[in-house]
Amino acid sequence: MTNHYHLPLSTFIMLAWRNLWRHRRRTIITLTSIALGFGLAVFSIGMQDSGHNSMVKNAINMGDGHITLQHKDYLASPANYRYIANGKKILEDLNQQNIPGKIVPRIALQVLASTANNSVGVLLQGIESTNDPLTPLLKKNIVDGHWLKQGDDRGLIIGAGMARKLKVKIGSKIIIIAGKKGGESESHLGRVRGIFKSGIDELDSYLIISGLNFSQRFLVAEGADAEQKPVTRIAIFLDDEESIPAVKKQLIASNSDATIGVHDWQDMMPQLVQYIVVDDVSAYVMQIFILLVILFGIINTVLMSILERTREFGLLRALGLPRQYLVLLVFIETLLLSLLAVFFGWLVGGSIHLYVASNGIDFSGMIPEGTTFAGTFMDPVIYSELSGARIFQLTTIVFFTTLLSGLYPAIKASRIQPIEALRT
Amino acid sequence: MSLLDIQNISKTYRQGEIEVNALTDITLSFDRSEFAALVGPSGSGKTTLLNLIGGLDSASHGKIILADTDLSSLNEQALSKFRLFEIGFIFQAYNLVPVLSALENVELVMVLQNRKASERRERAMHYLKLVGLDDMVDRRPSALSGGQQQRVAVARALAAGPGLVLADEPTANLDSENASALLDIMYRLSQEEKTTFIFSTHDVRVMERAERIINLHDGRITSDASR
Repeated sequence: MTNHYHLPLSTFIMLAWRNLWRHRRRTIITLTSIALGFGLAVFSIGMQDSGHNSMVKNAINMGDGHITLQHKDYLASPANYRYIANGKKILEDLNQQNIPGKIVPRIALQVLASTANNSVGVLLQGIESTNDPLTPLLKKNIVDGHWLKQGDDRGLIIGAGMARKLKVKIGSKIIIIAGKKGGESESHLGRVRGIFKSGIDELDSYLIISGLNFSQRFLVAEGADAEQKPVTRIAIFLDDEESIPAVKKQLIASNSDATIGVHDWQDMMPQLVQYIVVDDVSAYVMQIFILLVILFGIINTVLMSILERTREFGLLRALGLPRQYLVLLVFIETLLLSLLAVFFGWLVGGSIHLYVASNGIDFSGMIPEGTTFAGTFMDPVIYSELSGARIFQLTTIVFFTTLLSGLYPAIKASRIQPIEALRT
Repeated sequence: MSLLDIQNISKTYRQGEIEVNALTDITLSFDRSEFAALVGPSGSGKTTLLNLIGGLDSASHGKIILADTDLSSLNEQALSKFRLFEIGFIFQAYNLVPVLSALENVELVMVLQNRKASERRERAMHYLKLVGLDDMVDRRPSALSGGQQQRVAVARALAAGPGLVLADEPTANLDSENASALLDIMYRLSQEEKTTFIFSTHDVRVMERAERIINLHDGRITSDASR
């Protein structure tokens, strides 16, 4: 026997575990409330993340890819004369860099679409009609006519809303007019080949698709050399979105043209980023409430258990158990409760997540007005998604919240004076 | 040299504006193996004196020297350690940790004392046998009668090897048969283990067994008689 204190961890754990189950029903009720709260948080976060991912994925596909190369000043001050004059060379350079994904040229111009009936401001998007990722997305939504055929230098695809405004149908003529830098304008005649209805107002009422050659005429009018294949932007659709930062860094490093800026989708769609941030914040507020419920649930359980054991703690202190061991004992009880909470929380939350991840929830009936925002949309059927980082974050938050809730009861236990406790 | 020297101890409490003298100028000395009882009416200061001797409370004046250690010189941490090694406690009720078996309850203090597992088990079994509970070692307190629980508390107090055992009304909740059996055990062990027992009690049965009876009244010693 050595003349110093010793209580092995195994004894602490054994005592704490038995104390935890001293009031089996209370512990089960507490764990159930934590598990349900946690399950609710996992479900809502899984759905929200999935919704955001869906919107981002669709925004990237409908928009300008994961990474976009365009005139460095275009983002701050969009103008048709801010284009990439040597598109051909830039594309060749990019193709040599073996970037895993698809690289497509685009010409996006702010123009006026005019018919005998009406004139509206529109976005003219010149694309490679067969190769561009936008093609499969809009082609399936063609409600009248057909998609652009290769070599069609006058063909236009417009949205149903635009067709209504301009009062046009398949084969109708539309004059596309673009302002030039000097104040003059350039106009070209196009014909409606197809009308699409995507359900996204920003596309249906505002977008006109043409072949690259048609749109290029406006850049040539600005002074570009057609031989150099001028474009307003080059969109890069990566196979793996996780590689965005690395590819962006690589492109910035390899970019020798000072007039070209390299942007990721977050630079290109600040509104969407802002929306996601605001939506995340509102979700975090809800999660904080859930965590508070968990926190007070555990404080209540552990505190009750301590108040009931005041005399017992007094006895232990009288027998020679030091104050810090009592704190440790209560803390280990909370730690075990935390581990159980996380385990059962994931059992409930994980089960809900796995079910919704494989079966999805169809929101189309619940949100009849659609789920469009900032030029993108959320898929009507949402499959819960949880990244490894989210799983780690949720586990850590619940674990530490639970553990934190044991602090006050532990401090309370440490203040127990044996002489007073034994009188109770 | 005596085991315990109580020198001019006084204890004053404040109750609002009023000062209450719980103990006044108590001087006592106890040798090894004494079997002594502090007796007196409620409020006479028996439990207060026991708490002061056990280092659970501090005196307003005077000194308590136990096993050559002045308790007033120890801080809270050191007092805890001192109690662990030098003093055994038996309380009136709720003496045991409910989630531990009889054997584990007896072993707990020895675990804190950092005794080897084999030694702990051997001593615990030995004392549980001495108190007649060697066939109930795995029972939790809820499965033991009041008398049996008190016997486990006696085994725990002695297994830790203290020089002094303080027992606050240990027989108060026991019937005559159990009280008598418990007193027999404690007396026998005090002699065999050379351990001093000091009781605080109203119980005539304890007074009849005690070899020394110290009467307290209003915080003062009114008599101190050995048989």
